[in-house]
Amino acid sequence: MRRREFLKAGMVGGTAVAVGGPFVLRQADAQNPIKIGLPTVLSGGNAQYGTQAKRACQLFGKEVNARGGILGRPVEFIYEDTGADPATAVRKAQKLVEKDGVKILTGTVLSSEALAVSAKCPEWKVILMSTINGAGALTAKSYNRYFFRVNTSGPMGARAVSLYLAEAPMKRFFGLGSDYAWGRDSVASFSAQIVAAKKEVVGRDYPPVGTKDFASYIGKIRQSRAEGCYLVLPGQDATIFLKQAHQFGLTREVKPIMEIVELENIKAVGEAMVGTIGSSRYPFTVDTPKNRDFVKRFHAMHGVYPDMFDGETYEGLEWLAQVMQKAGTADDVEKIIAAWEDSSYEGLEGPFFMRKCDHQAVQPGFAVEVVKDPAYPHPVPKILATYPGDRVTPKCRTEEFV
Amino acid sequence: MAIFVEQLLNALALAGLLFLVSAGLSLVFGILRVVNFAHGVFYMLGAYLGFTTVAVSGWFWPALLVVPPVVGVVGALLEASTLRFIYRRPPIYQLLLTFGLALILEESVRVLYGPTAKGIDPPPLLEGAIGIAGTLYPRYRLFLIVLSLAVGAAVWLFLQKTRSGLVIRAVAQNSEMADCLGADIARVRTWVFGAACALAGLGGVAAAPMTTAYLGMGIGVIVDAFVVVVIGGLGSIPGSMAGSLIVGAAQTWGAYYLPETAMVIMYAVMGAILIFRPWGLFGEEE
Repeated sequence: MRRREFLKAGMVGGTAVAVGGPFVLRQADAQNPIKIGLPTVLSGGNAQYGTQAKRACQLFGKEVNARGGILGRPVEFIYEDTGADPATAVRKAQKLVEKDGVKILTGTVLSSEALAVSAKCPEWKVILMSTINGAGALTAKSYNRYFFRVNTSGPMGARAVSLYLAEAPMKRFFGLGSDYAWGRDSVASFSAQIVAAKKEVVGRDYPPVGTKDFASYIGKIRQSRAEGCYLVLPGQDATIFLKQAHQFGLTREVKPIMEIVELENIKAVGEAMVGTIGSSRYPFTVDTPKNRDFVKRFHAMHGVYPDMFDGETYEGLEWLAQVMQKAGTADDVEKIIAAWEDSSYEGLEGPFFMRKCDHQAVQPGFAVEVVKDPAYPHPVPKILATYPGDRVTPKCRTEEFV
Repeated sequence: MAIFVEQLLNALALAGLLFLVSAGLSLVFGILRVVNFAHGVFYMLGAYLGFTTVAVSGWFWPALLVVPPVVGVVGALLEASTLRFIYRRPPIYQLLLTFGLALILEESVRVLYGPTAKGIDPPPLLEGAIGIAGTLYPRYRLFLIVLSLAVGAAVWLFLQKTRSGLVIRAVAQNSEMADCLGADIARVRTWVFGAACALAGLGGVAAAPMTTAYLGMGIGVIVDAFVVVVIGGLGSIPGSMAGSLIVGAAQTWGAYYLPETAMVIMYAVMGAILIFRPWGLFGEEE
């Protein structure tokens, strides 16, 4: 009997792992505040992204409320933990809309969650502002007019890297992407652009999400005699891969290229990540006066340097505030949409423009390299090349480039 | 040839880690009859405490010595303060309890350490790679293989050759009879639970330089460990070793030759075992 109990118990427990544990964080009520809802990830492996969104909200909230709020009303953020599950994300978003009365949702972490929530927005008549979600489909196949993407999308990041590699001396590449939509799509799109640049993709592999030992893949990449390896792995998987690749001495032979170069990865991997190149949706080292000042304020509040989604979320909120001022309302969603479409905004890293046709923000793209810099306690992304928005943004409502 | 040797070493290193975790899981089930869902979290706890110890002392070796006993004590205290009171209830109670403990511990680690992965560097002695059979192989992974073999041998000898080991085996075989013969069952349970947690903690410290310490590493490893225990047989140390080797080999070679089906292979082996030898390779038929 013991054996059957063991198996039975294992199965029950496995189901429980999948369901996970939700919890709620709320801020104090203020008088007639503008409420912004974040169905975001605050527990589990992807909590680092929810934490970034939250840090940006905290800084923005403090600053905007000190200036008297938006349209004279204070701004309040309501955080809900989705546990990185699309069904929970929809449920939490619905609660934010129906119970708290928010008109603006933001902070969705996984593209799968954003796709699920975005699909409900036309029915709820609320705006979902993405500052994190990468999937190209959100502003293409699955576009609806209640969804706005302020951040650089996945295909846009891949485009920036490809533009850089087309001019680099490397000729042979290996593509390693996590075995789900983002990983496979990005590797496919990268391969197409590499081939178009008359270079060679010598191998492709798709390790499952959560792989803890990449040794087999490392052996294969070495065998392929590639000069560069394009990595599309989510946070922790990327950290583990880079750490192990360094231990195997692979990074001396093969240049790691990442679709997104994140500070979180850099801090966890450390020196072993120096030399990695890739794109960054927001490298905090961008040298604009506005960004220099932002980095200073952010560091003063949180004691760390802003990562990609700290910057992108802050930009989204600032832009949204500008749009609400212009529309003269924080409640009339239709007026906000109209005011946002075809509007411009001066972001931290350069000019932004919200395309009316698909609600994708046109913005500069960056190729960066991780370098050591004595001014910072950890290696940082150094900008190798900046591409203007029109070169890195896909054709309207597609994931293709001219 | 180089590829074969490299993949063989990869399989052994991965099996070593799996063994450190699954041995404890198997032992706890053998003695306590509890499926300990929190077991993976002790592995994670080991990795994070290892990170702290290395950060404070600047050395790797003390972490390897200090962390396992600390994790063991945490485990023993939790057993004595919670699990002890519900052994007589149906198994679902124990499962819910250990699962609850897993969630509490995991979220506590998140609150204390933040959501970011924490990297540990291998000690200088084991830094870098050496040439073996025409390929570069990381020294640290070789160390992992040696460490897990040594620990496996020590645990097996302890169970087979010492008086305490005899008592533990007696309790595993028939706890009521052992009770009648004067064994202090409650104490044996607490010690075994603590020792199993210490083993998982050791696994965590040892894994950290290879995988970093990250949230969710416990849940990832516990799934593999369950498969190992099912394949090897419940409560058997040699079984855990054999199961770890099979799962390690399936994952490593699978990822190399049949990357699309690497996961399937492991579960296919488990399925085959369940059909043809449901008590596991080294388990005892009931």
